Amino acid sequence: MIRVDSVTRTYGAITAVDDITFGVERGQVVGFVGPNGAGKSTTLKMLATFLRPTAGTVAVDGFDAVADPLEVRRRIGYLPGDTPLYRDMIVADLVRFVAGAHGLAGADLQVAMSRAIDMCGIGPVMSLRVRECSTGFRQRVGLSCALVHDPPVLLLDEPTHGFDPLQVMAFRDLLTELKQDRAILFSTHIIADVEAVSDRVLIIHHGRLLGDGTLAELRQRAGLGDAGLEPIFAHLVSTFGEPA
Amino acid sequence: MTLVDGVILVARRELRAYFDSPIAYITAAVFLVMAGTSFTNSFFLAGVIDMTPFFDTLPFLLIPFVPALTMRAWSEEHAQGTVELLLTLPLQPVQVVTGKYSAALLYYGLILAGSLPIVAMLLWLGEPDLGMIFCGYIGALLLGALFLAFGQFLSSLTHNQIVAFVLAALLASALVFSGHPSVVEVLDGLAPGWQAGTAVSGAVSCLPPYEAFVGGLIGLDHILYFVLMSAFFLWLTQVGLRRIQY
Repeated sequence: MIRVDSVTRTYGAITAVDDITFGVERGQVVGFVGPNGAGKSTTLKMLATFLRPTAGTVAVDGFDAVADPLEVRRRIGYLPGDTPLYRDMIVADLVRFVAGAHGLAGADLQVAMSRAIDMCGIGPVMSLRVRECSTGFRQRVGLSCALVHDPPVLLLDEPTHGFDPLQVMAFRDLLTELKQDRAILFSTHIIADVEAVSDRVLIIHHGRLLGDGTLAELRQRAGLGDAGLEPIFAHLVSTFGEPA
Repeated sequence: MTLVDGVILVARRELRAYFDSPIAYITAAVFLVMAGTSFTNSFFLAGVIDMTPFFDTLPFLLIPFVPALTMRAWSEEHAQGTVELLLTLPLQPVQVVTGKYSAALLYYGLILAGSLPIVAMLLWLGEPDLGMIFCGYIGALLLGALFLAFGQFLSSLTHNQIVAFVLAALLASALVFSGHPSVVEVLDGLAPGWQAGTAVSGAVSCLPPYEAFVGGLIGLDHILYFVLMSAFFLWLTQVGLRRIQY
């Protein structure tokens, strides 16, 4: 469902993403981990068609993100980092606006909204303005915007940012439920999230993909016995060294 | 979803944002008070039953008023990051740009309609030339449409609303004052052989075509000036949005 082939993205002289290749299939949850500035958000922005790759190709469900951006956007639910939302909008209007942009109207729109509201638990804030919501609720509103049109691909940038422990647990359950018929790629700093729900892990550092596999595969490659993801991550990053 | 559905969807969201903002109400109130005051001054002093003083003052009032409306159009999207939300929805750039522009135009039209009580008053007091008034309103709408188009374009270039306001007010001033007789005279005087003032006024200023409408003339060339200039700036806005991806 998601294909990233030999993708590089530069910002002037800075290489944010450096020749990375990976894929995510339907039914998979893939965790994307790396330090700040590693290239996680840039990769997700390219998949969401917000940025174009400098080199290589990005495709969703067979549609190239540069050649067919509208087809890609129809198939993705995207939660950008820092969850940018129209702060002065009433939550219900915002979700309705996003659903409308995906072509939902009438009874379909109502059904889709009810489903997204239930999934994300935003019923209590539907009549509030976005700026009046807590950080956790704002994040859930962003998530409901990504889910309202029932997309086959989910791209989530730091989705648990601002969540309390109970909300994190609920989110993990939601991902497990959603992954049945979707391809899900989410970036995070929180290793525990990745360990809890990911079928596969991508480790990125200085724009380079250092690891791609299940936790067991990464553990074996790093030669770290039965270590958790955190030591594997630290090992890969420390042995990678700084770019020239 | 059709092209028009997308435009309406974006326009509806924008229009609601206008009406949710106190700035829009304040600028509308100030605009109408100033327009009304400038009209009544001339009306009572000259004692003439027409709206020419209102339309003569309008371009100068629009110099600060329209940039105040358009400054947030895109710069706020950039500053809050919502441009990423908007541009990753399955909407074409033309739908987004036209939707935002349509909302601003409708909002401006509603404010312009706030001056219609002046027409009612003139009809009550005498027999004004309704044809001229109609042409004046067409000119006012087209002038506002042009200002809104470049205001939105300039707003798309920056994250800072104040910068967007200043840039749009400067361009509006340039387009208006370059057609003002005293400015034209000064520029012509600087290089008499070249008639620079007359050339600039005829080529780019919005004042001569606008004044033709106020004088009761609806010419195709004047309509084309406003329509093509507005379309040009909307196209530039679209091009600018595409550049974000690179």
